[in-house]
Amino acid sequence: MSQLLPYLGVASLLLVVSALWARQLFLTRKSRIELIVSQKREPTSGSSASHRDHGERIFDLGDWDFVSRNAPSEIQEMFLRERAILAISWLRRTRARISLVMRAHVAAVGQIADLHLVTELKLALNYLVVLTLCDLLIAWIWLRGPVRTRKMVGQTLRTMSWLRGAFEQLMARVSAEI
Amino acid sequence: MSLGVKNVEIEPAVRDLRNRTLARLPGDVSRLVYLASSRDLNTGRYSHDGIAFHFSENVASKAMAACHAEIFDRLVYCSLEELIEELQSYISSTAERPGDVLQSWKRLGSYRVTIPSECDEMAAEIFLSNVKIALAILQARQESAFQDGQFA
Repeated sequence: MSQLLPYLGVASLLLVVSALWARQLFLTRKSRIELIVSQKREPTSGSSASHRDHGERIFDLGDWDFVSRNAPSEIQEMFLRERAILAISWLRRTRARISLVMRAHVAAVGQIADLHLVTELKLALNYLVVLTLCDLLIAWIWLRGPVRTRKMVGQTLRTMSWLRGAFEQLMARVSAEI
Repeated sequence: MSLGVKNVEIEPAVRDLRNRTLARLPGDVSRLVYLASSRDLNTGRYSHDGIAFHFSENVASKAMAACHAEIFDRLVYCSLEELIEELQSYISSTAERPGDVLQSWKRLGSYRVTIPSECDEMAAEIFLSNVKIALAILQARQESAFQDGQFA
């Protein structure tokens, strides 16, 4: 039995190395696919709209001012309900997009020899903050139901502005690294 | 009007389409409806005999798709107040009774087919939501005007 031990050791080592190599291959391929997929999803003609612009449009206070002055209460409620649905949809998309970029970044980082640990830690922290904010905001909108007050819309706008800044920082860092 | 068309090949066709056809229509909703109705729902290709005669069918289709995307973007990003004015202008330009057009748009959701094929989902969601609210406001206005007329 003891004669078999060296062979078992070598076999285990080979297995571990193969697993690591396969993982690396998988991550690289996955990131390529994801980048291609995200490029394909971008509008190709005419449309100059970005996800950030969509957020601004959804949380625009001008529309609420107009509706609150010119529409009956049931239409005001309808407007707030519609905007809540749009806001949640936009937040989910933003979250998914950020996750996609981060996964591609993680895959690319695996091939970089001189890794900047501090930058990576900051990036990871930023990523977690943005994801948490997205989740908190989604939960907040779900729990509060249709947005009923101007104050709430204002709070959402401020939070979204903060979120946008964090997202832009994240994107800049990711593109600089890749 | 800036279209942001990067393809030099279709720029003259786009200019022609804007100046000869789209400029004659009253407002962006009318233009959107016109362009969407010129699109074959099975193939997604647009047809315009005049533009196709001067350029080619392919260029005409691309030019119309570019104009469609541009007008749609403008309507997604215009305020709700402007969208209501645009809708009102479109409804007035049809030969039908405004109440019937509003009912039909609400019941059949006719505006759903006006979305360009190459737009992102979020823009489409914003547009559909805004049109839904705009139609509700227009209908409420109409009902209020009708009641005022009855009690006057």
